Amino acid sequence: MANIVCSNVDKQYGAVSVIADFNLDVADHEFIVFLGPSGCGKSTLLRMIAGLEDISGGKVAIGGRTVNDLPPRDRGVAMVFQNYALYPHMTIYDNIAFGLKRMKVPKPEIEQRIRAVAATLGLDPYLGRKPTELSGGQQQRVAIARAMIKTPRVFLFDEPLSNLDAKLRNHMRVEIARLHQKLKTTTIYVTHDQLEAMTLADRIVLMKGGAIEQVGTPAEIYDRPRTLFVAGFIGTPNMNFIDVTTEKVDGGWSLRGAGCNIHAAGTRFALTPGQKVVLGFRPADLEIATSADDQANVVAGVADLVEFHGNDALVTFLFAGKEIGALVKASACPKPGDQVAFTIGEESLHLFDQSNGLSLLKA
Amino acid sequence: MSARKLGRLVGRILLLVAAFSAVFPVFWTLLNAFKNRVDIVTPTPLFIFTPTLDNFAYVLGRESVFAGLINSLIISGASVLIGALLGLPAAYAIARYPNRWSRDVQFFVLSLRFLPPVAIAIPLMVIWLDFGLYDTRLSMIVTYTLLTLATVIWLSVPAFARVPKEVEEAARVDGYGPYAIFFLIALPIALRSLIGAVAFAFVLVWNEFLIALMLTTSDAKTLPIVASELTQLGRDVPWGILNASVVLLSIPPLLFIGVLSGMLNSAFKRKTS
Repeated sequence: MANIVCSNVDKQYGAVSVIADFNLDVADHEFIVFLGPSGCGKSTLLRMIAGLEDISGGKVAIGGRTVNDLPPRDRGVAMVFQNYALYPHMTIYDNIAFGLKRMKVPKPEIEQRIRAVAATLGLDPYLGRKPTELSGGQQQRVAIARAMIKTPRVFLFDEPLSNLDAKLRNHMRVEIARLHQKLKTTTIYVTHDQLEAMTLADRIVLMKGGAIEQVGTPAEIYDRPRTLFVAGFIGTPNMNFIDVTTEKVDGGWSLRGAGCNIHAAGTRFALTPGQKVVLGFRPADLEIATSADDQANVVAGVADLVEFHGNDALVTFLFAGKEIGALVKASACPKPGDQVAFTIGEESLHLFDQSNGLSLLKA
Repeated sequence: MSARKLGRLVGRILLLVAAFSAVFPVFWTLLNAFKNRVDIVTPTPLFIFTPTLDNFAYVLGRESVFAGLINSLIISGASVLIGALLGLPAAYAIARYPNRWSRDVQFFVLSLRFLPPVAIAIPLMVIWLDFGLYDTRLSMIVTYTLLTLATVIWLSVPAFARVPKEVEEAARVDGYGPYAIFFLIALPIALRSLIGAVAFAFVLVWNEFLIALMLTTSDAKTLPIVASELTQLGRDVPWGILNASVVLLSIPPLLFIGVLSGMLNSAFKRKTS
């Protein structure tokens, strides 16, 4: 087991900087998820920790030992790849044993360890087969077995579930979570799927353009997004945004935009009068307005599209020149063309500075 | 008859004609190899005749043929072996560890084959004469290695490039170095295409005629040269003997490819069972 420390890590390909000044401490036993859109550098970072990619600048330490110049085998890491990367010419048994053979583990012990791992992952019936004879989910389980068997100090997962279909993905996600609960190996997991990130992570590292946008527990990132990007990236359906200008009024602030005037106490935010801000609120935080509500704080429009999600339905309508989504109970769902009106609770407002996209929440 | 059926029929007929024109000469050669001269030169083609092994006996009985066979086996075998031993690692390095020289290396290797054989045969002849190695197996092996090396490298680079990078990276994380990855991962995965490349190189030098004609006179003559000399036996063209020598000449490459593909089949059988 080991902690991982990245300090001032840089990565350049020629003149192009992919990752700049990346700093992160991963505690022992922690499950960290690197989350971000394609090309944000999350996989590159993982590969640098694995030793598959040179580190252009800064330092990576695993278990207190700087590993910048160590080959992968001396770093005590095991990795699971997106496309499984099994050795196609070997049987499943040999695939799993390959790393142990290199470590000169005696044959009977290899046998015994493989039996144990295969039992854990339900691979017993397949040990004699070749990878192409297995389904995607089974292949990925073999890849996990191959990583597990070395009892590494650090597990690295590079988008391990993105080649699987939705149902299998859910199943494997639960398996990975169970595995971590049992083994408690320090894990870094790269994904672009926020559901995977939210459900698996102790902490999420949300990245964009080679830099960290926010590090925090899934709840922190969901409830207190630090930037506009994080707010828009996390949460399905996406957060609604409206451009407004602040105005100091009695008992708080008025947030005025084209065709919209929301009143907020705003005590949680650091606001200045006349500031251009982005008002954000999640579709699930909208509540159907009743006639008793303060009409000034109502977000209303004509329902344009109604998407049925099962328990809920997503109602889309035009308000203040923007498409707004609201999640309502499927039983109370309006029809397209109906007039709809919602209120937003003060506590579910998010405000971001328009100039730099940073959250205006007081620290 | 619908247009589609007609089209299919025409297609079949074309295919049959093409197949016939490819296969029949081979078949006819095989047949003639077992005929007496009288049966060959008769104006009406004979399909039923009393077979004879005289032609084969004559060809195999000649010392020059036997010497040519040994020369061909040694020269082709050695040049293919050296070409594969040097060419496969070179191709892997070009495919996996490209640097600013690898394109030039690849181009240089191909450039060895740019000039027509007749143009390089004369300078080579002078070189080997100066070294005192003219008409030796060694000079032929070195010359042919240039051919096999170029073929093996050019056909193997794409084969190695097709090996998934992640699989090699997985082996790196499993603790293996570049040499172990080459032998244990890349080579077995690319084996199918590589065997094709090596077999092609073999057939190329086995059938090579022009360079061999210029670089050998007696000691190191290869089978194609010896076979061609059989036509100069007299005023009458010895058709039966020619056909028999053609048949004999085709057997080694067929065997070579047969053995290779047999190896392939056994190597991949477990995968599909």
